[in-house]
Amino acid sequence: MTTAFWIISAVTLLGAVLAVTLRNLVHCVLALILFFLGIAGHYFLLRADFLGVVQILIYIGAVAVLILFAIMLTRNVTGTEGPREVFGLKWWSGAATAAIIGALVLAAIRRDELSKLPTSTQANSSVLEIGKLLVTDWVVPFEAMAVLLTAALIGAVVIALEEVLRRR
Amino acid sequence: MSITLGHYLALAAMLFTIGLAGALTRKNAIIVLVAIEIMFNAAILNLVAFWHFKVFTTLTAQMFAMFSIAIAAAESAIGLALVIAIYRHYRSVDVDEMKTLQG
Amino acid sequence: MEHAEYLQQLASQQWLIPLIPLVAAGIQALLKQRSRKLSATLTISAMALACLLALRAFFATLGGDHGDHHEVGRAFYNFTWFAFGTTKLELGFILDPLTAGMATMVTFVGLMIFINATGYMHDDVNFTRFFCFLSLFAASMLGMIISNNLLLLFMCWELVGLCSYLLIGFWYYKPSAAAAMKKAFITTRIGDVGFFIGILMLYHQTGTLNLYTADGTGALQQADKLATLAGWWGLSMAGTIALMLFIGAMGKSAQFPLHVWLPDAMEGPTPVSALIHAATMVAAGVFMVGRMFPVFTAGAGDWVMDFVMWVGCITAVFSATIAVAQFDIKRVLAYSTCSQLGFMVMALGAGGLSAGQFHLLTHAFFKALLFLASGCVIIGTHHEQDMRKMGGLRKYMPITFVCYVLGTLALAGFPLTAGFFSKDEVLLVTYHHNKLAWGLATFAAFLTAFYMTRQIFMVFFGKWRGGEAAHGHAHAKHDDHGHGHGGHVPHEVPWNMTGPIAILSVFAVLMGWLGTPWLGDNFFHHYLAPSEPAPHHSNLVLWLSIGVGLFGIFLGWFFYGRRPMEHATDADPLQAKLGALFTWLNRKWFIDEIYEATIIRWTMALGVLFRLVDKLVVDGLLHAIAWITWGISWFTRQVGDELIINGGFDAGCEGVRGYAKILAKLQSGRVQNYFRILCLGTAILLVVYFIK
Repeated sequence: MTTAFWIISAVTLLGAVLAVTLRNLVHCVLALILFFLGIAGHYFLLRADFLGVVQILIYIGAVAVLILFAIMLTRNVTGTEGPREVFGLKWWSGAATAAIIGALVLAAIRRDELSKLPTSTQANSSVLEIGKLLVTDWVVPFEAMAVLLTAALIGAVVIALEEVLRRR
Repeated sequence: MSITLGHYLALAAMLFTIGLAGALTRKNAIIVLVAIEIMFNAAILNLVAFWHFKVFTTLTAQMFAMFSIAIAAAESAIGLALVIAIYRHYRSVDVDEMKTLQG
Repeated sequence: MEHAEYLQQLASQQWLIPLIPLVAAGIQALLKQRSRKLSATLTISAMALACLLALRAFFATLGGDHGDHHEVGRAFYNFTWFAFGTTKLELGFILDPLTAGMATMVTFVGLMIFINATGYMHDDVNFTRFFCFLSLFAASMLGMIISNNLLLLFMCWELVGLCSYLLIGFWYYKPSAAAAMKKAFITTRIGDVGFFIGILMLYHQTGTLNLYTADGTGALQQADKLATLAGWWGLSMAGTIALMLFIGAMGKSAQFPLHVWLPDAMEGPTPVSALIHAATMVAAGVFMVGRMFPVFTAGAGDWVMDFVMWVGCITAVFSATIAVAQFDIKRVLAYSTCSQLGFMVMALGAGGLSAGQFHLLTHAFFKALLFLASGCVIIGTHHEQDMRKMGGLRKYMPITFVCYVLGTLALAGFPLTAGFFSKDEVLLVTYHHNKLAWGLATFAAFLTAFYMTRQIFMVFFGKWRGGEAAHGHAHAKHDDHGHGHGGHVPHEVPWNMTGPIAILSVFAVLMGWLGTPWLGDNFFHHYLAPSEPAPHHSNLVLWLSIGVGLFGIFLGWFFYGRRPMEHATDADPLQAKLGALFTWLNRKWFIDEIYEATIIRWTMALGVLFRLVDKLVVDGLLHAIAWITWGISWFTRQVGDELIINGGFDAGCEGVRGYAKILAKLQSGRVQNYFRILCLGTAILLVVYFIK
């Protein structure tokens, strides 16, 4: 378990780091996909099977593809290659800020007792259970989620489509 | 050593930091969105870790996580649509150029 | 009820007497020009009502026991008009023989005149306005008579002057009338200055404006105290006040040298001349002296009374001489009035209150009669006023002729007429005071008889000279009064004009018996001034006055009756005899010209001087102030506004803008910057959390 953890963590970290540092946009997205995979792996490790599958389906299957589409549509100016990153004030101040936050959070984690909890071997969550919950206790958020997604769909279409119509 | 909750939390924290650094530093708007996705996922990982280590006994955390994923997806869709619209207007996706709201 | 209480009650109701004509005047002011009948009815009935009230008051003063024989029955009623703080302004009414007698005379003679005026003003367009003014005048005159208070007296005095102004200039579109109305007002005003000073001094010295009060603090009741104080010009305080008051009387009663307005006042309609300038208003001065008599007689060693007497005497002689040489029928009567007023004033100056007042009353009747009759003559001859163009009217206007003759006899002092008795009293009183004045007065009486006879013969005897008058002149006069008649024969006037004069002539003859000493105790003297010693009878005075009167009549007949003038253009017989002297008299001793050359010219020069001062000094000051203000405003704008305020404001704005620029850098529009700051803020919060 521990080995699996370390390997998957390494993969995840690698993917994340690559995603924010690579110059080529498509490479960034591919690294992102790697990252998503790593996260999915962690979910499986944590015995949240359904969630892992959902992660792969949605994030890799939909979000990453969406990002790729966006990159394609905005390609004319930037190309797949982004310009050289300038390591100026903005870069350092941004990095410093993030580092500060990270350090603080890590320090907080270290201090807390809760962190010492060990792994458990409880049974997995079954998909049947989750399904039942969705239509009984959680039916309202479920439906609300449906509405939200519909709204997002329509909104995205409206925002992205407008120019096209006008150009005609 | 056994993996404790602290490990997962530390991992999530590091991922979050990386994502934050990306959001603050990158010039391209799409990469900023990517970094935001990273931050999102780090947070959800946190949540699930808490569930696993018996901090919560119900499946509520999974539900929570699932809905968060759905919302994150919707949000990234909108964000990218916006980027496309902005691209149409400015002919670029450089965040440094989008400063018309400056005072 | 008890007589004294009855008198007191009537005294508190005295205000009704002037109020009724005042209300009538007020109503008439709102009437249309066409409502002549209504207007005349209002005026005449108001006056008749007032006359009844005055008669009631008169009879009240007759009856009852007056207590001791040396005090007249007098009731008065004072009330507070308004008060500010502790100072009160009072007014008051009085009922005593002087008031009652005057009120009865004014209302009765006024009534006769009003009735006559309906005929005289028949053709005039402004009929209603005339009667409105007449009512107003009656109200003010009566108000003066019933007044127990100097303030009310002065107010009504001024109102009477105003009404005189309005009525003299009734035909204001005629320039001569407009000039006359101004002259009358201004000349009497000069007298009023003295009057006002006198009132002020009296108020200051006695502390009250009331003439009589219940607790003996009235102005007149303190006259003896005033006599002990020292005044100006060697007089006692009482004497000084009396002198000032008399100056007012000089103006109002046309004494020399303020007499110049009275002849010119004949520009007004004849009823006005009859009412105001014969019977009532000019008598107001004499009345006022009579009312304030205690102040006049208080000072023992004062020369005021002598002054009064001499002014009256001089006026009497002076105006009588002028009357001899006048050709206008009304001017003769005007100067005659002036002269008779002189007689009254002279009597008062000689200490004879009852003699002067008696002559005032009888004069009112026969002078009103004469004026009204002359009005009849004027109307009958189609607005002719020049005596040279009249003649032989006794054939055409018999009633008028008879009344006129009766009036003339009374004025001339023909034995047994009213004028005879009253003039005799006047001469008697003067004789006992100063022989020289008496001599001059007798000469004036002679002249009076002479000029009145002259007038009778010129107007009523001989043949009618009016037809041959130059048509242009006659027409000019006619056009003024809206007539188109030529030199037609004269005619008698209707009954509403002859009736009053007939009634008045009865009084002119019979009234004398009221004040004659022949029937034992002189009724009038006893009635009016019982505390005054009755003058000793003097045969010399009596026979001499009869003699000069008859001699005057004879001389008048001698010059004018034997061979009456044939033509209007003939020379006056007297003119041939006297030559240049006649011209001097005809031109009124050139007094008007002297005034014009001296006083009026100096006043105009003073006016020019003041105008210059106004232009240079006052206007100069104004301009200077304006320049200074402009300068200050310019300076304020340049330095204050531009430099300091605007500049300061601008500098402030620049400062703010500078800071704003600095602060604006915070808002770069870049999302990543915002995010960065957000994260830093979160970090700080976490640090705080840690420290806790």
